[in-house]
Amino acid sequence: MSTSLLSYTTRGAGAVSLVLLSAVVILGILSTQRVQGPLWPRFLTTGLHRNLALMTIVFLALHIVTAVVDPYTNLGWAAALIPFSSYYRTFWLGLGVVSFELFLAIVVTSLLRGYLGHRTWRVIHWLTYAAWPIGVVHGLGTGTDTLSAWMLAITLACIAGVAIALVWRVSSGSSDPLADARASFRREAR
Amino acid sequence: MALLDEADVLAPLPRVGPHFIDALERSGLFGRGGASFPTGTKWRAVTQRSRGDAVVVVNGSEGEPQSKKDRVLMSKRPHLILDGAFIAARVLRARRIVLYIGDRHIAARDSMLGALAQRTEPERGMVSLAAAPSRYVAGAESAAIHFINSGVATPTTVPPYPFELATLVQNVETLAHIAVLARTGAIPGTVLLTVAGGVSRQGVIEVATGTTIAEAITHAGGPIEVPRAVLVGGYFGRWMENDEAWRLPVACESGLGCGVVGILPVSRCPVCDVAAIMRYLAGESSAQCGPCFFGLRALAEGCTRIASQGSNPADLRRLQRWAVDVRGRGACKHPDGAAIFLSSALTVFAREFEQHRSDHRLRQIA
Repeated sequence: MSTSLLSYTTRGAGAVSLVLLSAVVILGILSTQRVQGPLWPRFLTTGLHRNLALMTIVFLALHIVTAVVDPYTNLGWAAALIPFSSYYRTFWLGLGVVSFELFLAIVVTSLLRGYLGHRTWRVIHWLTYAAWPIGVVHGLGTGTDTLSAWMLAITLACIAGVAIALVWRVSSGSSDPLADARASFRREAR
Repeated sequence: MALLDEADVLAPLPRVGPHFIDALERSGLFGRGGASFPTGTKWRAVTQRSRGDAVVVVNGSEGEPQSKKDRVLMSKRPHLILDGAFIAARVLRARRIVLYIGDRHIAARDSMLGALAQRTEPERGMVSLAAAPSRYVAGAESAAIHFINSGVATPTTVPPYPFELATLVQNVETLAHIAVLARTGAIPGTVLLTVAGGVSRQGVIEVATGTTIAEAITHAGGPIEVPRAVLVGGYFGRWMENDEAWRLPVACESGLGCGVVGILPVSRCPVCDVAAIMRYLAGESSAQCGPCFFGLRALAEGCTRIASQGSNPADLRRLQRWAVDVRGRGACKHPDGAAIFLSSALTVFAREFEQHRSDHRLRQIA
């Protein structure tokens, strides 16, 4: 395989991963707010959230494998697995490894949620708020296309999307329609 | 009768071993907390899983508003109940006994604690007291365990059922029957009933298994006026036409639940009473599952609209449909109980629900 094709694949898969990961984060936030409409049933949010997350793994694998096997980069597998062990852009590439491994932990614990229990799963799931920004910074720091207009637009759109969803989630508070009733029952039933 | 009329004597416990569970299974004893679960089956499951660490929960929470029989029994026969609990602890190799008694049942609790203070068996040291919150669902097996473990009386998902985790949750009346079985070799063959509503002598009676409801009502002095219908099993039970109820034998398979028999006199408005009970049951949802919390509230609102503004076909249709839809959709059986109660009301009081007038005074149940 030609070196340039591998390089384009790495960059393309990286950009797609960023978009997918941002979409997964936004959908995750939407699912906590129980978003729904006539054309958007609630299970669609959670279904997309889960399936896009699994799909992100595929693109991240493509992103990492093509980067490692590209003879031009000469990265080696250790650099892809051990954070901050790469000779090349040690810090920025290391952030990518950290982000990927956090994301992997989130996906694996989600698949094993039934065995872990809700509370443990929930705590680990909060790592999203580390994995996503670290991934974005990794892209900004080491991306070949970062400063091209189209990549800049994609990155900014992703950041804006997640930021808007987050602000909305924080400002609208808990959306659990049973939260108050449940809390008051629990106060009385002790 | 064996439970209520005999003196509550303090006597050495009879010797019991693992074979006692065979006797319990042969006896056909069923639980008196409401679910009529075969007691022997429960004990078999607990003993198979006990490694000397079983827990016996003496369930005297009695959260059903119309039921009094557990309180009366705890007040009159505390030693008999403790006998049953201690026998359970020995047979099931328990390390802990919890008296789970309703926090408003002060006299019953004091009676149990007074009896406990007179006991000398080693099991006395295993006993602790837990005050069950006075909420409807607090008496459910899983809610009792959740309260004892975490201090909140909310039901949890089953399975695994408590008895599959070496925990015996047993109603106080059931324990009393077990004690009689251990002492005499036979269960008393009686059932405690709480007779409520339009009868001469409201309260707790003990009748032989197989007695009809008509005979039981006669024991309670008979109806004070012409009855319109009978509520069998309390708010978790179902309404029955008089004729059907009178013939019903007091037995495990009759669906007597916790043993409440409520007589509704013709002078009362069934629609208003059913609406009030539905509002109560909706308010007793522990708000853990949407279908229960929202479903029961919607059912209560539908009943209340008919009661206060008069019958309308749209609400009637919705009630009919939702009373079926809501079943099986909660982690516990609270929505199912309320829905079955309402469905039976819509059948027995079909005429009243169709003809209810808006100028009818909204009456609260006492």
